[in-house]
Amino acid sequence: MASNRRLGTARKLLYTLAPVALLLAAAPARAVDHNNIDAHRPLSFDDAEALAFREQALEFGLNLGWPRRRSLGGALEAEYLYGFALNSHLSLGFEPSLGGRAGETSTGFDFGDVSLGLLHNFNREHGNTPAFSLRGDLFAPTGRDSKGVAFRLRGIASKQAGRYGRVHLNVDLNGNPGGARAERPFTPGLVIGYSRPLGYPTKFTTTGLAELSVRAGEERGTGAVLGVGLGIRKQVGFRSVLDLGIQSDLAGWNDAARDRVRLVAGYSYGF
Amino acid sequence: MTRTTLTIAALALGLGFTVHAGAAQPADPHAAHRPTPAPPQVAAARELPRPPDKLPGWLTNTKKNHIFYKRGKYNFDVYNIGPLARDLNAVAVGHALAYEDLVTGKAAGLETKTFDRINRVLKNPPKFMPDEAAISPTFVRRYGVLEQVFDWTHILHAQTVDVLASSQLTEAEKDREIERLWNYYFESVPYAVTPLPLNMDHLYSLAYSQKFRNTYPKVNGLFWGYHWLQGAMYDMLYRASPEDQKAAYAVLGEQYRKTELYRTDRPFMPMFGEVSPVFAARFPHIANAFDNLHMLHDMVNDILATEWMTRKQKEEQIKLAVWMVSAAAHRGEKPGQESADRLHDHRHFVGMPGMGMMKGMTPELMWMPEMGWMSMADCHHCSMPLWEGADAWRNPTVTADGWSMRVRCPLCARDMAVETKGRALLRIPTEDPNRVVVVISDEQGNLRTSTPGVVFLENEGSHAGCDEWSRAFTSQAAFDAYVKAHPSLTKAKALTFDEWAQREGAKPDTYTKPKGPVENPYQPHGEHGNGK
Repeated sequence: MASNRRLGTARKLLYTLAPVALLLAAAPARAVDHNNIDAHRPLSFDDAEALAFREQALEFGLNLGWPRRRSLGGALEAEYLYGFALNSHLSLGFEPSLGGRAGETSTGFDFGDVSLGLLHNFNREHGNTPAFSLRGDLFAPTGRDSKGVAFRLRGIASKQAGRYGRVHLNVDLNGNPGGARAERPFTPGLVIGYSRPLGYPTKFTTTGLAELSVRAGEERGTGAVLGVGLGIRKQVGFRSVLDLGIQSDLAGWNDAARDRVRLVAGYSYGF
Repeated sequence: MTRTTLTIAALALGLGFTVHAGAAQPADPHAAHRPTPAPPQVAAARELPRPPDKLPGWLTNTKKNHIFYKRGKYNFDVYNIGPLARDLNAVAVGHALAYEDLVTGKAAGLETKTFDRINRVLKNPPKFMPDEAAISPTFVRRYGVLEQVFDWTHILHAQTVDVLASSQLTEAEKDREIERLWNYYFESVPYAVTPLPLNMDHLYSLAYSQKFRNTYPKVNGLFWGYHWLQGAMYDMLYRASPEDQKAAYAVLGEQYRKTELYRTDRPFMPMFGEVSPVFAARFPHIANAFDNLHMLHDMVNDILATEWMTRKQKEEQIKLAVWMVSAAAHRGEKPGQESADRLHDHRHFVGMPGMGMMKGMTPELMWMPEMGWMSMADCHHCSMPLWEGADAWRNPTVTADGWSMRVRCPLCARDMAVETKGRALLRIPTEDPNRVVVVISDEQGNLRTSTPGVVFLENEGSHAGCDEWSRAFTSQAAFDAYVKAHPSLTKAKALTFDEWAQREGAKPDTYTKPKGPVENPYQPHGEHGNGK
């Protein structure tokens, strides 16, 4: 019985994602540079670079997650970014999902919360000073059972590490003061990301990424979740990049909700 | 929660260590391997240029300030000529690899290891334009404003080429879009490069000048080879059909890859007016800006290669070099203006507004290696005055052996190509300003063209009138209309391309060899300024 339900969920997931996959395959072959890293493409950290002034980008991703004690689930991530001023960009995103999700019992379709974000880069990296940015996101409660407007503040520092590598520190404060009683109103998080072009000095199309993250559990009484991730970004057109990633919440304390493994595939197009 | 906070704190501390370990290197980790610095008196003997009392704030900005390129349906159309696009991608890598090695203590290997690494990329060029900043992160971290200037002007370079390579725009649309690109470039940032001709002799006679060329001739040869391609491609693309552009790059690309990249005998960097005279005369402000950008590259190379300057001095001199070639430093000044202050000497060659003054030369006389002295206002084959002003598009050009020359008529172009060893490219305008016949000459001087139906008038007489009796036409009808309008040519017969290609004119009766003040203004013994 349980396996039939899982099969049904997987089929629904396939029906939902297939048109999206077709859309991605038909997208024009132009997008952003493989060295510039935005959250979810494919790992969870941002670098400190803003989009160029007047640049626009569309970023899509599909992720397949396997949460602990839940069925397989999938989500579409879609984000539009616009460099509205020098060193600043806006983002508008949504993330519909279907199937099992960490921390939720429902497996039905969920449109997810719509997000509006702003990233401002205060300085480029110079001398021994890292590049610094601040990113703020608001999440409208458009998803199933979602309550209150949530937010995330993220401080970002990026710095050269070694000859070609870069380290990216993301410090997060997530807040949802109007959320459900069982949820924490504020949760901190931290991601240490590392990116490095692969193939230099003979190949110039690929960047490898890795991350180590820790975040507080969203439910009151739960502990921290420790995650890792590995990913790759590959330039496939003048302005288009494909990304692939794998993430896992290695450990969670006090019954914190977590994913065993998450596979991410995405496509970014700058214009 | 407590455990979470502790874990986050531990990771943050760990990161602090990682960042420190990765980036907080000593100011120069290779200082111990450097040659002993020159004694102080040597440094004192060289007088470095001094900055003005007040420099604008943008010269010390620490922002990224990245601006997106101008939108247009032509963007990336350089890929219509795939080999050219890939060669240009490799150029970006070549610049970046050399700069990174220069600032990370690897200068000693520049002529060997670095050269080999760059050469490998030049022979296997990348499919897409790489991000130079990612290849030279230390250089960009140290000289971020310089990188902004390079990057922004390189975008103008790339987009201008995209427009010229577009198969969707008409020739008139291309001209208009190039002007719009220039305005977008010039008005969007405070650090645009000046469109005025600068005195190249002055900028290449500073205390640090020529250090890079003399110390690293092979890598300098590569840099000048890139700049040769970045100049020569403009006339190759201008007014040519997509098919002709591809065919022409088969010739030009081979010249670049086999010869121009590895030349170490150039006395000076290739100038736009020398390799793309038609484009330089039509868009002098853009040609000047690109020459000035390339000169900035040379100045930066020399500064970085100079061992007697401290790191602080290098940073100051690079900042000053950026200022010297910036539009801001020359605000209110005009092309052609002469000044006792050589930095503000904006004279150009007569007949070539897109080229600043060079060592030992005068506005009337210009010198090129192996070509000697010449007037840029006259035909290089018959010495008669070139078309000028609104009619300048009527000048054919001959490109061979690394140079490009404007001539007065199709006969002059053909015969000059035949007299030249090796392959040659001829651009021959027709009666239609938007139609240029591209002719390729092989090693034996055999000519071919892919333009069907072209006919020629060649009613040879004195070259005083060759602009009238030697012409190319897109059709027999155009030929007939021209002959009808010129009664003295009523008996002239239209020649097919093959008939015209087999002919050879008499030695021009008007030819005179210009003589300069010295044999070679770049000869090592003797100082030959340019009149200032």
